[in-house]
Amino acid sequence: MNGHLTERDLIEYQFELASDARQKEIAEHLQDCSICREHLERLKKKFSSLELLRQDVKVSENLVRQVAEQAGKAAQPRFITFRKATWFSSVAAVFIIGLLLMTIYLGETKQGGGEVIETFTRQPAEEKLHAKHEDMAGRLAVKKASEPARMGARGLLGTAGERAAGIVAGDEIMEKPPFAPASAIELVTLPRRENVQLTIYNSADMTLVRERRDLTLKKGWNWLQFMWANTLIDPTSLNLTPLDQADKIDVKQLVFPARLQEVGRWLIRSEINGRVPFEITYFTSGLSWRAFYMGTLARDEKTMRLEGYVRVDNGSGEDYEDAQTRLIVGKVHILDEIAELARRRYPYGRPSLQLGIHEEFDSKGRRVEQIDRLFWGRAAGIGGRLNELRRKEIIKEGLSEYFLYTIEGTETIPDKWGKRLLSFEADDIPVKSLYKYDQQRWGDDVIRYVAFANDEEHKLGQTPIPNGTVKIYSRADEQGYLSYVGGTSIKYIPVDEEIELNLGPARLAKVEPILIDFTTDNYVFDKDGNITGWDETRTWRIEVTNTKTLPIEVEITRGFETAYWKLQFSDTNVSYEKHDATHARFKLIVSARSKCSFEYTVTTYHGVREEVLAK
Amino acid sequence: MQQTDESLIDAYCRGDRDAFVELMRRYGDSVLGYLMRMSGSREQAEDLFQETFKRVYEKAHTFRGARFRNWLFTIATRVAIDSLRGRKRFKLISLDQRADCGGDIDDRREAVAVMDTSYNPSSEAIKAEQAEQVRRAVAKLPEKQRATLVLAYYEQLSYSEVANVMGCSVGTVKTQMFRALRTLAKSLPDISEGLQ
Repeated sequence: MNGHLTERDLIEYQFELASDARQKEIAEHLQDCSICREHLERLKKKFSSLELLRQDVKVSENLVRQVAEQAGKAAQPRFITFRKATWFSSVAAVFIIGLLLMTIYLGETKQGGGEVIETFTRQPAEEKLHAKHEDMAGRLAVKKASEPARMGARGLLGTAGERAAGIVAGDEIMEKPPFAPASAIELVTLPRRENVQLTIYNSADMTLVRERRDLTLKKGWNWLQFMWANTLIDPTSLNLTPLDQADKIDVKQLVFPARLQEVGRWLIRSEINGRVPFEITYFTSGLSWRAFYMGTLARDEKTMRLEGYVRVDNGSGEDYEDAQTRLIVGKVHILDEIAELARRRYPYGRPSLQLGIHEEFDSKGRRVEQIDRLFWGRAAGIGGRLNELRRKEIIKEGLSEYFLYTIEGTETIPDKWGKRLLSFEADDIPVKSLYKYDQQRWGDDVIRYVAFANDEEHKLGQTPIPNGTVKIYSRADEQGYLSYVGGTSIKYIPVDEEIELNLGPARLAKVEPILIDFTTDNYVFDKDGNITGWDETRTWRIEVTNTKTLPIEVEITRGFETAYWKLQFSDTNVSYEKHDATHARFKLIVSARSKCSFEYTVTTYHGVREEVLAK
Repeated sequence: MQQTDESLIDAYCRGDRDAFVELMRRYGDSVLGYLMRMSGSREQAEDLFQETFKRVYEKAHTFRGARFRNWLFTIATRVAIDSLRGRKRFKLISLDQRADCGGDIDDRREAVAVMDTSYNPSSEAIKAEQAEQVRRAVAKLPEKQRATLVLAYYEQLSYSEVANVMGCSVGTVKTQMFRALRTLAKSLPDISEGLQ
């Protein structure tokens, strides 16, 4: 053998596709050639992935029983076919019936034969394919057509496509709809989505999906299958609406075939052939979004660039391609958990006649559950009573409580994927850096804050800002390198509201309160000599150190644990205000790389001495 | 002593319903597995399963002498190919693509999770992803190549048995098999550590 083995040789060898002689030849070559052996090993490894589809499949007892029951029914008349006499009788009977039908047919075609031919030629070839499958719809149509008083024999001559579609004679559509088809073969073509819109209600783990699909309908009755297996779609919320030709198309009912779990089939009566745009809406769970923000402080820390992002996570089990995404901020109250609804075997709970759900049996004896119209659909539907009983309610607390964000453009969000989308960006937002010290709240740390407002002055204010996390960076040098300053979570910020971002302890600022003096005075005694009142006077020196290269504004809050206090303070470089009943607040600017201090004296009144201050 | 398939089908033709049930139990798992690999979903496979055995009991009286198993797979293959061609022509696209393709793999993953105490979610996720790639690769094969591959590889029928089922020569089967494998060699995922 010259050279190395080809891939063809190796495949043929591995799967014993070559002749015996060739197999032997290849085997001998492999013994001597390590390169080809390696190549074969690689190929084997490649094909070993086929093992991933090897699985133990077990037929359920139910399925065996169903088929066995059908076989039992079918077996009885079949014995007859083996009896000669009966067989001949059957042939004779069929022959006679055939002759009779032919006579009627010839009579009819003389009067209106063109119409019949037209019907034949008009049927698309694909509908004829349906004839191969003895679907229940077809059988029903034939059965009805064979009733001579109403349909006449011509009904039998319609194509199988007509029978499946429930067309019995000419252009007439059967009044009675066909049963749900037993398999997916007779279902209406379901093309790809034309577009899809997601409205994600984060607070309730609920997403409204609106998708447009152009469905190709045939005149008559059409079945459209919708499956939600492995998804978190709420089947009780399914709705189907024609966007065009609505007067000629009627979405009659949604059927949940008993044996097929997580499948719904819509029955659509169409008076037209052709493509019609439909809107399918439903709620699903598993889609969520969260907002987060990235702020970059300028070197002087007076302005900040703020970018808002939304991360949409799709755990719904369904891929959404080119979806327009809208986000709802605010809480909605729903009665059911959508994820729980999606997992129910029967979307409305166990079917019950009392609830207006009919149990019917198809040709194979399988139960078909039918619900009179969509619960959530057109209010005028026959199932109005059901609507009242079971319609999912979404109680809104007032539209003003919500805000709708629409993400510009469209995004593809596959199942199990998350996607980060830019929601807004604003440059040069004026911000105020503030360093806060409050021993009672944060101990010895100085906490850094960045403050701005959600308004036009701060180049924001077009929409409220949803809850989320914020990370703040600052430009460390002229090259634009960033250093992480701190992060925090923010609450919903309405328009025109101020926001302070707590960025955590500041390393380059320090505040140290030092008790300089402490005296007590003005003791008051009762008649028994017990102390009933006194004053305490403390003198504090507050030392502030700024090791940053920029001046900083520091806000120092001091608490006195009593509402009866008086403070003496005379430093003009420091502003002072009474913050609340028990706290005073000082503000000062500390130059870059400097240290400063100020002193104050506070007198607190205790016991009956509190009255002194009250006077 | 176990009855042969042929005697069971004969008994069914004489009215013994239990014989039919016995045949179904004997080959049900295998036929359903075959149909699942052909169709890609359990739901579709169960429909095809019903259709296959419906044809079996309708055509039982036409069964003549050959191996029942081959005859059964011939029917299942025709049912599957008819259905797949119909589906292709109608381009039925599920709103839930995963129901068609991923359900079985998910089931398998769950089974692994229960049985294997060393269950590792990330490796299982990778395996599920690879299984999905394999399923897609197999699903892209033309029906006859797919049927040949599934019968020969998964159902472990000999090439002459496959030829019998498919109603063609052994040479044709080998050609179909080779073409299927050549396509798969390009589209199957690389499994660096191999399968356990």
